[in-house]
Formats: sequence, structure tokens, C-alpha cells
Amino acid sequence: MAKWGMVIDLEKCTGCQACTIACGMENSRLPGEHWQDVIFFNEGQYPSVQMKWFPRPCQHCENPSCVAVCPVRATYKTEEGFVLVDWERCIGCKYCMIACPYGVRFYTEEKPSYGGPDVKQVFKSNDAHSWNPPWKMPDSREDWNHGVGVQPHDVVSKCTFCYHRVSKAPKGTADLDPGNPAQREFTPACVVTCSPGARFFGDLSNPRSRVSKLIADKEGVRLLDQLGNKPQVYYLTGSGGAVPSSHANVKA
Amino acid sequence: MSDSILNPNVTRRRFLQATGAAGALGAAGLGLDLGGGLSTLTKAHAQPAGAAGGETVITKSFCHQCPARCGIDVYTTNGRVHAIYGTLDNPLTQGKLCPKGHYGVYLLYDPDRFKSPMKRTNPKKGRDEDPKFVPISWDEALGIVAGRLNALREKNESHRFAIITGRGWGASDVGILGDFGKLYGTPNFNLGHSSICSDASETVKHIMDGHHAYSAYDYPNTNYLLVFGAGFLESFRPFTGNMVAWGQMRTKSPKTRVTVVDVHVNTTGTAADRLLLIKPGTDGALALAMGHVILTEGLWDRAFAGDFTDPALKFEAGKEIDPNTFNEKWVSGLAEWWNVVLKDCTPEWAEKITTIDAADIRTVAMDFGSTKPAVALFERGASAHTNGVYNGMAIHALNALTGNMFAKGGLRGYQMKTAWAKPDVKAEEFMDDYAKAPERKKPRLDGAKTEKWPLAKNMIQEIAINQLKGDPYKMDTILFYMTGPIFSAPDCKKWEEALRQVYVIDTSAYPGETSVFADLILPDHHYLERLQVADTYPFQGYPISMIRTPAVKPLYDTKVFGDTIIEIGKRIKGPTGEYYKRLGNTENLIRMLCKGFEEKPGDNGVKDFESFKAKGVWYRKPYAFLQKDGEFYEWDGKGYDKHLTPEEVKQKVMPTATGKFEVKVTELEHYAEYVAKRLGIAPERAPFPQWIEPRHPGGGDLHFVSPKLAGQAEGRSANLPHVSAIIQPTQGGKRNVFLEIHPETAKKRGIGDGDRVRIKNDVGQIEAIARHFNGIRPDTVALPMIHGHWAQGRWAKGRSPTASTNEVTANVSEPISGLAVFHSGKVFVEKI
Repeated sequence: MAKWGMVIDLEKCTGCQACTIACGMENSRLPGEHWQDVIFFNEGQYPSVQMKWFPRPCQHCENPSCVAVCPVRATYKTEEGFVLVDWERCIGCKYCMIACPYGVRFYTEEKPSYGGPDVKQVFKSNDAHSWNPPWKMPDSREDWNHGVGVQPHDVVSKCTFCYHRVSKAPKGTADLDPGNPAQREFTPACVVTCSPGARFFGDLSNPRSRVSKLIADKEGVRLLDQLGNKPQVYYLTGSGGAVPSSHANVKA
Repeated sequence: MSDSILNPNVTRRRFLQATGAAGALGAAGLGLDLGGGLSTLTKAHAQPAGAAGGETVITKSFCHQCPARCGIDVYTTNGRVHAIYGTLDNPLTQGKLCPKGHYGVYLLYDPDRFKSPMKRTNPKKGRDEDPKFVPISWDEALGIVAGRLNALREKNESHRFAIITGRGWGASDVGILGDFGKLYGTPNFNLGHSSICSDASETVKHIMDGHHAYSAYDYPNTNYLLVFGAGFLESFRPFTGNMVAWGQMRTKSPKTRVTVVDVHVNTTGTAADRLLLIKPGTDGALALAMGHVILTEGLWDRAFAGDFTDPALKFEAGKEIDPNTFNEKWVSGLAEWWNVVLKDCTPEWAEKITTIDAADIRTVAMDFGSTKPAVALFERGASAHTNGVYNGMAIHALNALTGNMFAKGGLRGYQMKTAWAKPDVKAEEFMDDYAKAPERKKPRLDGAKTEKWPLAKNMIQEIAINQLKGDPYKMDTILFYMTGPIFSAPDCKKWEEALRQVYVIDTSAYPGETSVFADLILPDHHYLERLQVADTYPFQGYPISMIRTPAVKPLYDTKVFGDTIIEIGKRIKGPTGEYYKRLGNTENLIRMLCKGFEEKPGDNGVKDFESFKAKGVWYRKPYAFLQKDGEFYEWDGKGYDKHLTPEEVKQKVMPTATGKFEVKVTELEHYAEYVAKRLGIAPERAPFPQWIEPRHPGGGDLHFVSPKLAGQAEGRSANLPHVSAIIQPTQGGKRNVFLEIHPETAKKRGIGDGDRVRIKNDVGQIEAIARHFNGIRPDTVALPMIHGHWAQGRWAKGRSPTASTNEVTANVSEPISGLAVFHSGKVFVEKI
């Protein structure tokens, strides 16, 4: 059984946000509902100022706080390591959003933050979907039990590690390399599009996988490791990376 | 505002606001089952049954969100385009995309698209006048255009029809306009936008090394990258390719070191090893001082640039050398340049101009000069100034001094041609007496290549003024293609006046400020609906061409631009109409062009139209020439084995007057009087890269720059809510873009963080929201040029700033290239 995980090399990340946009396109996300966000912040005084950025998908924790608090078992952890939301069960209580220390969850009925008409009204749905974007993913891929597709009203959604792609990968796959035509279609959207190649996806339980080697060789770290959530997303900080500090300045 | 950096979205207020309704629902849902345990819960939602099956088809196309033209795979299922990814075997994309590459899906289904040809019924034109467009048939629309064009020809006034173009590419697109101009009889057949784009960089290359082109830089093999005023990781083309190269440069051994010169902290400067925050418009002084250090420290490349006859001789600050004691090799005029200009350009001299510490200048110069191979590049940050070409010359000269021209890991080369076949139908054979008559030779409307702008390729920004003055004549009809000067040209409000006077045809697929002044709309296909071919710039050195195959049938009653021109042509009386009937349509033309691949197949096996469509790209490696240790070689099919004589180098590699890289520029010697007059320098100094004080039009007290963001696409990203939502804190916050202002600068003006401000100068005024940012020079403010649209669609309007940055940008141009000086202006900023 694979234990899927992601490695993000902060030294190579250029802060372009193609991951955010590719994820939104692949997963039919609402504007601003950034399952894969990049958080910008800055520190220091002119002319010694640092601008920093931090790519942040769902951490798919080994010990997910969100699963523990869900009153209806809508949020769950699979054997292969995905943390998913079953939209057929979710009641939108948002406890998981508060419990998650990483801020990766979104509630469908949030007031639009992007200005202008509400896209849910412009692309209205005639059925139980919360909206009907003309570019939405093929119907056959939609899978509400795994939080994949255009979501219903009143649910919480989050990054699925592109469950609809990754779960189709052949058993025993060590790494999903988007440069390999045989693996490309199983690789998460953000990893496929990342131009500088800052993202890697593979089996953390396989010590011979590239992700395992990268974590070992380049001293991969996990975000807020002291909390004990044990994320399955690792960051390589190299000489150029940034993990947010408590005195960083952020404005949204 | 949340105090959590990771979770700025979950604020107490937002949480409570949204939980009210759902909380009640949740409690109700839970209430039913609390006794029986959670496992018996009924479904809160049931997934509706969707369309079953549906094969996903991948069509090959290329992107239209910037000039790079990356190859894309378009995913279509059940007639719906739902994804775009980079094409894996396209040398430009390498399977990757920048954020903009994915926007195509949103633009295709943009509900604000024009849905059919339309004509204006409100004769009054103005910003607030509803054009009252009514749908008409293509036949009627094309008939209207042909009627006007035939009438002009009958009056001997065909020159009063102009086509103004933006991002058009390839032989089946803007490439057909040359023949149209020739046959119909107008010099204004393709008035391009390059002078509001980046003409200065092409001009610099043209006059120094003989190539009017962008350059191929060998990033994966370079060890030092020096970037002047180019958003290498934000906007510099090819953005995807740059980022792919970035990943390679920053992980190879040795790691490529990067220094960036800019006026504010951005992602490019941050990702680099060193960022120098320079006074706007002074990049040339910095580059000159670096050249000075490279020579005085003996770091120049002797095999490429030449050497003293006596090893004891050297370059010493302030001292002339005897030109007879220096043997120049491939750099022409080096001794004279030193004596006239460079000997006095010390780091201490440059510090006073650029505000960058002399010690830092010396360090970067030593690093650059002693690291091989290396690349120095520049874009508009350095060149969109009144002294922009001279700034660019000083920077480009660094590549020659250090022997990195045409070298592995250096500036690798220039445009090579794709093996297109010539069309079977020849326009020359269809020219009638009218078309051949000497009175067809009229000056262009934009004044380019006339005595006003003798060296400029295009001068789109002059068109509105010329129209208003009737100089050289008044226009009757103007057709716009992929350009919206009412937003994107400097002092853009002038265009509103000018376009009241002419019959305006817009071919955009979307509404925009320019179409508000249109009399006729001939809407184009979206690029995913098109069949089209294009070549790209010489990014990889070798030639690359792409094809677009329609991913879906056109959603609306639109027509691809090339076919619109052909259809107009068919309706022109006489042999012109015959020519276009023979040509048929763009697909015929593309099929003819692809016959050239039979003889010269691409490296990926593309040999005809069908294999081209299947692969999406044709390319043939490698670049034909290489310079190594001061000698030039040509590729002979196996290696760079054919040694080139100086005469061959002149013909094939550096086609300048001297056949060398010129730091004493022959072209500027020729135009010395013009340059002297326009820039206020002595004519005898004109040929040399030198420091010229920039002029800062506008009359304010703060420098004003309008950079392009990583997420900002060509033209229409302002109407995409997915794009507004990703614009980041220092630049914008989901809805608007902000004016970056240094906190001290703001405080002096009583401007708080987030206050509304007025940006004003002699040209006009706009309003924006101020954002305190420590990373911008205190003498400069920056406002990204994306929002401020008032007619682009439902999501574009109502955002801050209130109007285009071009409403406070003076229409002043660099005199040699004609480039509009977008980053040279000054403004006042005050709290509202």
C-alpha cells in the first residue's frame, strides 16, 4: 500500500502561482478557493527587505486534526494516505476548518472575495451542484465521496492530492514523474505544471522513491511539526526557502 | 485581518457569518441521530448522475497569453474544454506552463464574448455612449467593409484605410497583411504595436550585432545571470521557459549565480542572489561602470575582444590609451569607446547617478567578469526611458567584453527560419495598375521610417495624434486586431478623441475600451477554436514553429482573423478579389506552407500538415553557429566543425557594417545629427554606449512604474475572477491592485496603509489604493498595469485603480527605437 506524499523544494519555487491556477482548473474550483495557495509575506526595512512566499496544499497529515473533530465522519483518512471529504456526508459545520492548523479548507458558501458578480450566479446550476462552470471536469471523473468535482452547497472542500488522478496510478508506483508520459496523467495538477520542477510526488513508504531520497538527502522538514500532525508534505528549504516566522507581515 | 499567516481566510467574523445557516442544518442533521450513533446518518447530499463515459481528446495548440507561444495540450471531453497543460515534447514548454497558460479555458467560456458580427446604431461616440450594437450577418458585415474599401479605391484614397495590429502571429494571420497592403494599395496594412512593447531591445541588438531580433540565451549552461529591469520570473519572455531554466540553473553544479537590478523588491529580485535597487532610468550608468571595472581589472575576454600589443599596457581609470597599441578582434571601436566614454565611468561616478554603492558595483562587475559563461540581459525597466537604447547598449556591450556572444552558456544566437514552403498563389501576379501606381507610395500614418522616426519599426503611439492633426493625412477607416490602444497606449485618452473621427472596425473576440468606439464588430475565434500556425522568437536558438488545431467547434458566430481578411479581399473589385478567391481560406494557405516540411522534416518527425497537427510543433536543432575562444564555427550536420572566415562571420553571424560587434556603432554614426538633436549630445559621441541623463515627463515628484505581474496575461486577465483572486498582498488583494509606496514617502504625504490616493501629473489623474511597502525605493511608486478597465466585461469593471496607468503616462518615446517610455514618468501622489 502506497503512502502518497509531496515534496516541495522552496529553493526552486519562483512564486509564480501556476500551481494555484492549474489546481483550480483541474478541480473546477471557485475563484479564490485556492486548494493549493501560495502565501506571500515580507520582512525587513528598505533596502534590506525580504519578500517571501510559501506554497501550501493540504498537508494530508498522518494524524489529521480535521478527521478527529468531524462529527459525521465526512472527513476521513484513506489507507493510501489521502485525507478526503465525503461531500455526501458533510454538513458544513466547519469544525474541521478551525481544527486544521494549516488553513487549507474552504467552505462553499463563503461570500465571494474576488469582486464583481458571483460566479455561482453567472454559471448557475440546475441540480444539487453549487454552480455549473462551463469548463468543469468531465462528469465521469466527479466523485463526491472523495471530494472530487464541483461541490454541492454547504460543504467544506480541500486539496485531494488530485485523488482522481493519483488513485489510478498502477500499484507499486514509487514516484509520479510528469515528464514520463506513462505517469503524467496520474500526477497531481500542481506537480505537472510546476515549471522550475519544485514539486515531487511519490510513495513515502518506499525508501527507494525519489521523494524519500529527497527528504533524506536535503533534510526535508514538515510545517508546524511540533503539533504532531505529521504532514505528508515535506519542504526542502535549501538556501532560498522560507518557513513563515512569527514576526512576518502578511496582508490579504 | 487574521493574525495567522497560514490561515488568513478563517477570521472569526467570516467563520460566524457563514456558519449561521449551515450550523442550524448541521444541528438538525445531528439531532436525528444522536441516539443511534453516527454511522446511520443519511446522506446530506446526493451526487447527481452525470453524462456517462465520454472520451477525452487532446488537441495540440499553442498559448496566446504572452509572446512566447508555448505548445499546449488541450483536453476536451464531451465537447467541453476542461484543461490545458504544456506539451511534453515541445522544446519551449517541456510539459510545463506558467499560471497564464491555464487561463485559456476561462477565456473560451467568458460570458462577455462577442457572439456575432454587429454594427453600431448610436452615431454618437464616447466613453459613456452605449454603441447600441445590433447583430448582423457575416455577409452584411463583410459587405459593409468591402463597400468602404472599394469606394476609397475609386477616390484614389486607399491609403486612408489602416490595419492596426497587436499580438498577431504567423503566415495565415498578420502574415497575410503584407500582400493585402500591396494588392489593395495602402502603406498602413500592418501598423504594429511593437513600439509600445519592447522595441528598444531589438534595436540595441540590431545596431550592435546586426540582428533586429530578440536573443536566445543559453540559460541551462550559464554560470552567471545579470538581469537589468526584466521580470525574469514574472513577465520576461518566455516565462515558462525562464522558469524551467531557473530550476536547472539553481540546481546544477556550479549553481548559476544571479544578480537582479530593479527599482522594487519583486519575486525575481528575491529569488536572485543579489538585488540592486537602482534609481529608475540609470541602468546604463551601472553597466558602464561595470564595463570600466572589467577593463581596468583585466577581466575582458582577450580572444574575443582583442588585446594590447604589449602585455605591460593596461586600462587605467581616467587615462586614454593609444589605439595603435590595442589590436581589436571581434569588438569594433573598443579603444575609442574607452577613450571617449568608459575611462571616466568609475564605480564612484556611477554611485552618484544610480544610488548604488560603488563597492557593490565593483563586486558585481568582478563577479560577472570572472565567471564564465555569463549572460547580461535587459528589458523595459532599463530601456523604457528617453535614454533607453543607450542604457541597453551599455548593458549589451558587457556580453561582448566578456566574450559571451554566440558562446555556449552565453548569448547563444538569433532567429533562424522555419522551412515553410512558398504559397502557390503569388500576390505579385494579381496587382492591377492602381496597385502599381507610383502614388501608392505614401508615408505611413504612424510616421515610422520617416524623417520623424527614421530608425523606428512601428510608432503606434503616434497614430492618435497624427489623426487629430491630419498629419500626414486623415484616416477614413481603421481596423483593429488584438490591440486596444484606448487602454494600452500612453496618454490613452487621446485615442478616444481620434477614434470619434474615423470608421472603426474591431476584430476582437471580446468587448474592450476600443470596441466602445467601434462602428463594426467582426469577432475573432478564441484561440482554442482556431487553425493557425506561428513561429516563435529564437528562445532556444534553433527554429520552432507551432500549429493550433481547434479543440472545439466555434462556440459563437465568429471568424478567424485570417479568414476575415481573405473574405474582405474576395470582395475587393478587380484582380485583388481574384487573388483571394484563388487563395481560398487560411487552411489552404497553411497546407501549402507545410509542404516545406517534406524536404526538411522536424526533429520530431513532422513532415506534413497531418503530422504537424498531431505533434503540434516543428523544430530543427541546433543553432547554426558557435563562437569558442574567439573563433566562429558553423554546424556541418555533425558538429561545429566548419571554421568561418571573418568575411563569413560578417555575412552569416554578425551582419554589421564592420562584421564585428560594434561598440562604435556605424548606424548611429550615420544618424549622428538626428541623435545629437534629439538627445542633446555632441554628434561625434553619438556612436558610443554612454550615459545620457533621462528625461522624466509628467511633472511629478515620484518616479512611476507600471510593472506586469506573473499572473497578468495578454489583455484580458482583468475580466477573469480567477486571476484577480491570486494577485498577492504587496501588489493587490483579491480584488484590486495596489500602489506600492514606501512607508516614509507615504507618511510625508499623510497617506496611511490602505488609503485611497490620487495619482496625478500633467497628463491626467487616476485613483488607487495605497499599500505601504518597505521593498520599494522611497523615490518611486509602482502600480501594476492590469486593472482600471471600464469596458472589458462584468468582472473587469469597478476595480482599483479607477483607470489605466496610461492615463498618467505621457506620450514620450525613445528617439532611436521609438519605444514609448513607460517607466520614465513622474507623478504626484496625494491622499483623497
